[in-house]
Amino acid sequence: MSLLQVDKLTMRFGGLVAVDAVTLEIPPGEIVSLIGPNGAGKTTVFNAITGIYEPSAGGVRFAGHETRSEFCGSVAVLLLLTGFLTAGALILLCNIESLWEVVITGNYQYRQVFQWKPANIAFTTYFSENSGTRLILPAVLGLFLGLAGAWAVWQRSRRAPEVAAHAGIARTFQNIRLFNQMTVLDNVLLGMDTRLQTRFWHAALRLPLFWRERREATSKAIEILRFVDLDREVNQLAENLSYGHQRRLEIARALAMQPKLILLDEPAAGLNPAESQALMELIRQIRERGITVLLIEHDMQVVMGISDRIAVLDYGEKIAEGTPAEVRANPAVIEAYLGKSDAST
Amino acid sequence: MTGWEVFLQQLIIGLSNGMIIALIALGYTMVYGIIELINFAHGDLFMLGCFAALTVVSLTGDLPVWLVLLLLLVLTPVFCGGLNWLVDRLAYRHLRDATKLAPLVSAIGVSFVFLNLGLFWGGLPLKVFGFGKAAAAPKDFPTLVSNANLLGNSNVEFTTKDLLVLVITVPLMVGLTLFVKQTRAGKAMRAVAQDRLAAQLMGIDANRVIGQTFLLGGGLAGVASVVAALYNNTIYFQMGYRAGMDAFTAAVLGGIGSLPGAVLGGLCIGLARALSDQYIATRWTNVMVFAILILVLVFRPSGLLGAKHREKV
Amino acid sequence: MKLRFHWAFLLVAALVPVVGLFVPAARSLGELLRPIFIMAILALGLNILTGFTGILNLGVAAFMALGAYAYAILTCDIYPFQFGFWPAVMLTVLVGLLAGLMLGLPTIRLRGDYLAIVTLGFGEIVQDSLKNMDVITKGTQGINPLPGPTFAGYMFRSETYAPWYYLFLGFLALVVLLNRNLQRSRVGRAWIAIREDELAASCMGVNPMKMKLLAFSLGAAQCSLAGALWASFLGSSGEPGNYDFQVSIIALCIVIVGGMGNIAGVLLGALVVVGCNSLVLETFTNFLKAHELISSTNVYTAPGNWKYMLFGLALILMMRFKPEGLLPSRQVKAELHPHEPPPS
Repeated sequence: MSLLQVDKLTMRFGGLVAVDAVTLEIPPGEIVSLIGPNGAGKTTVFNAITGIYEPSAGGVRFAGHETRSEFCGSVAVLLLLTGFLTAGALILLCNIESLWEVVITGNYQYRQVFQWKPANIAFTTYFSENSGTRLILPAVLGLFLGLAGAWAVWQRSRRAPEVAAHAGIARTFQNIRLFNQMTVLDNVLLGMDTRLQTRFWHAALRLPLFWRERREATSKAIEILRFVDLDREVNQLAENLSYGHQRRLEIARALAMQPKLILLDEPAAGLNPAESQALMELIRQIRERGITVLLIEHDMQVVMGISDRIAVLDYGEKIAEGTPAEVRANPAVIEAYLGKSDAST
Repeated sequence: MTGWEVFLQQLIIGLSNGMIIALIALGYTMVYGIIELINFAHGDLFMLGCFAALTVVSLTGDLPVWLVLLLLLVLTPVFCGGLNWLVDRLAYRHLRDATKLAPLVSAIGVSFVFLNLGLFWGGLPLKVFGFGKAAAAPKDFPTLVSNANLLGNSNVEFTTKDLLVLVITVPLMVGLTLFVKQTRAGKAMRAVAQDRLAAQLMGIDANRVIGQTFLLGGGLAGVASVVAALYNNTIYFQMGYRAGMDAFTAAVLGGIGSLPGAVLGGLCIGLARALSDQYIATRWTNVMVFAILILVLVFRPSGLLGAKHREKV
Repeated sequence: MKLRFHWAFLLVAALVPVVGLFVPAARSLGELLRPIFIMAILALGLNILTGFTGILNLGVAAFMALGAYAYAILTCDIYPFQFGFWPAVMLTVLVGLLAGLMLGLPTIRLRGDYLAIVTLGFGEIVQDSLKNMDVITKGTQGINPLPGPTFAGYMFRSETYAPWYYLFLGFLALVVLLNRNLQRSRVGRAWIAIREDELAASCMGVNPMKMKLLAFSLGAAQCSLAGALWASFLGSSGEPGNYDFQVSIIALCIVIVGGMGNIAGVLLGALVVVGCNSLVLETFTNFLKAHELISSTNVYTAPGNWKYMLFGLALILMMRFKPEGLLPSRQVKAELHPHEPPPS
């Protein structure tokens, strides 16, 4: 069974079809490359996989699940609860002054003992007098607005990058997006944070769990930084690293999430040949850690050197897929990269 | 008055006030569209425009009414536009590359300065300001346009003032749309709004275009202040806060950065205020307006006509 | 180990009343410091939002008002609740937390400027509602008198000053401690990551909505704590007009003038902004009055009438020449001066 299934994924932006019914299957433990000329829609596929874009059609399944929050019982309960709470709040707001008078002021004189009993009677008579505008209208309106509003908010939030991240998909960005003003260590720790049990009250009160997890997380982060050979830069600000180091820090940050699948968006861009070689070695080691790799790359040496399989995109369509040798020999791929020439026919 | 007449009357009041709010909102939305700045001083600029208008009236008291109106409609926008341009030149231009918060705080500072200027302006020893005896008190704006009902003896009043509001604002909005869509300067504005760097690389002087936007937005606020002063006949130095708040709400409701959105938002706010005044209670009107705003934003996070925001990755 | 500025600030502040026993000037300084402590708590609440998370909130005064009124209703003896000081303060913080959550839930997904107008509107809603619901809130009179706080059987009286001083200082120290702990944990890290690059943060598994909502509620809770303390200090909830837009702006100015995202900066900002806003101007006015230099009819000669002008100009000049604030955090400073190398 494949780890990631991209099924007839289509992305439309206005009239432009950026990705057109692309199907990909990525088995666990492989290194798969996605190549194609600039503007072929590779990064758009990544964005759809990581939940940044909502696919116009088709779907993405990761480890057998959709990478979005499913409508289930607890969501329904939550929506209903929001509806009822809004209705209650609206009823309260519409009648708050009268209720206050009936329940509080009516029962209480200055420095007297407070009696609840008569209030309950007044309470029912109050609502029975004009139940239409006092009770039913705000209740119906509140229920409707609460339900609809909660539904709208939930719809908008169900496909989000953090859902994909929690499922176990990590990524790097084509134009590096580190947290520039945070230290190298903090960048890596941030990637690890979602796996921690510490909640905000642990942190605010510095409970034992906070200290224990901080110790563990820091040592794990330094281990990861050692893995990508950045352990000498731990306390540097991310923006002060060299370009190659920033690329590796992005990979380290992604690895800290302990993902099942890592998406690398042009990791070799801007690297010199020696750095590219080191990167290839790093990607192999990542795979040895049991992490599946999906790679976008223009550097054919890297792609051909490490990929188990390659998929080729052109103008949003998948034009070829296979082992490096098969793809290299595929006439459609050659045409996409070099243009159609009469001599080749 | 029957129920329908009451409703119709509120619609007319709402429409007139809505058009004034829309004019101010246009200034907000234009500036926001081009440099993503919530121009907090805009409401107080409107207030200063009202004081300028009253000063013009007091200095030209003997001239025929049509000439005074003409002078008002020329001098006040020029004053407001110029002031807005000057503020941009002195304060905001230096903050183009800073974080978004820096020009915003600067704008809040400018609004405080304007507020104080309004207080001092009201203390000028002129007859219309009560010879400066009570600087902070509301000032009467003379009734230059009569309150006569154009619908004859009907219960519903559509006065000369309402007509004046429509006659001034509608052509202005049409003209603004044509300006932004058709002219060279308008195209430059849209280019800078979309991508300042790219526009600069194409040879557009971005600072100049931004200055023009401030000039234009301020001018619209100036027209709005003349219309509002003629319509309401009273001005005071704290009026900018309320007006600015309404206009800002209108701009956001319509989708900030969108010109038709600002007009639509202004009309919505004007109508909502009038209807809430009539059918709920005047004291709850502000609450209703913001409740409507929050409600709309829950369902349409970019406002009614705002473009959906998509981040480049 | 280096003594951090905020601890040094609190330590020096703790010594002021002791010195005041011998030096009268220190005593009057101490009396003036009490409202500054409360404003500092308010500004620290805003700092969580604007400084750490990068959300602009223009309605913190509303949460302060809610806190003040909730505290007043819970303690005043014209109502049946009549809680003591400590339970009332705790309940008030809870009220603030819930209010922040309720406002945040539907609106936290909005982009920055849309959220700013919503918070601005919330400030108006709260102020108008408090004014209109006069059956509950006594309209513009405010709820009073409130009983003074008690601590271990000791009753605070309005004429004493040292107990109040230490009460507010204690709360401020507590808030500083909690904020610092949050800042240096996964929570603070996530907040700062959201401020820097929300999309990248969410791709790393940070749920921006959850973290922003947390910031929103915690900030609101702190603001309402400030409100409760303010009400106990005044012995009255104050009228709704006391919690208008200006208060929100002053809180924002404290955060920005002091240094966004830096707790020590906020403390310094409170000292400078509130100090200049009320104390210096007041002293100057009293001085002029004493020497009969002010005419009551001329609007231009009273220094109080120049308040907005000076405040506004200070803000403009500050943004022009020192936008990172007096005591910036390392991160914010680097954001505002991208071309300078950071100190190593």
